[in-house]
Amino acid sequence: MNGSPTHYVMLFKAVSYALKAEKILKSEAIPHKLIPVPKQISSDCGICLRFESNLRSSIERSIFDKVEFEEIQQLSN
Amino acid sequence: MSEMKIVNATGLACPHPVVLAKEAIEKNEKVKVIVDNETALENVTRMGTKMGCDVSKEARAGGVFEITLTRKPGATMPDVPVSCVASSPSAGPFVVVCSEDKMGRGNDELGAVLIRAFLHTLAEQAEKPDVMIFYNTGVKLTVQGAETLDDLKTLAAAGVEILVCGTCLNYFEVKDKLGVGVVSNMYDIVETLSRAGRLLSP
Repeated sequence: MNGSPTHYVMLFKAVSYALKAEKILKSEAIPHKLIPVPKQISSDCGICLRFESNLRSSIERSIFDKVEFEEIQQLSN
Repeated sequence: MSEMKIVNATGLACPHPVVLAKEAIEKNEKVKVIVDNETALENVTRMGTKMGCDVSKEARAGGVFEITLTRKPGATMPDVPVSCVASSPSAGPFVVVCSEDKMGRGNDELGAVLIRAFLHTLAEQAEKPDVMIFYNTGVKLTVQGAETLDDLKTLAAAGVEILVCGTCLNYFEVKDKLGVGVVSNMYDIVETLSRAGRLLSP
């Protein structure tokens, strides 16, 4: 592997928002992964959407006006 | 030949045999401890080894074991805390069993999210299981198109043995879609579960 890609995570207010956003990404075939919120971000038992950095704008476009999200953070590898 | 102290610890449960054996070896060069259960056998053996003794074991009839502890010449007696472990964690493999394609009961949508989060996190752990077993709807986690497939592939690549119930793949008609691990059977599954040192089910 020539260096793993940079990932971002999109954080939501509640699990249901994350699931709703995931359904949209799935229907648009945008690669993503539903993962537990990394410990360094929050100790809550939450889930978030992880995606590669180059997909950020298309994901934001896709869920714009459909699902509210809290923030996007870069994941340290 | 120095005299041997005999400690009869039959009928006693841990930590009793360990306490008696420790007291005896602190006062005597050579001690024979008689126990009648595996846990006592393991714990007395471990204590003896930690105290720097030569340890030999012999099984007698009726599930009785004789453990002979002999102080090594010049050995100091470290103050070993009396420990009482049910069985050695290294006794058998660390096995994770996924009997469902969900984690927990109550809400299926949530359960499906949780199992994905579980497997993702498991794949990132430093200490990975030795074997993972999938049966009933759990097999759906291992087939092509499953959201969990990548994490399971990561685990498999790290050396985790993945056994997938063939009867179950057959029942759900997804045998041709298996994406990770090997098609297994009840013999392997029972054998693996039986010798597991640690069994974890999400």
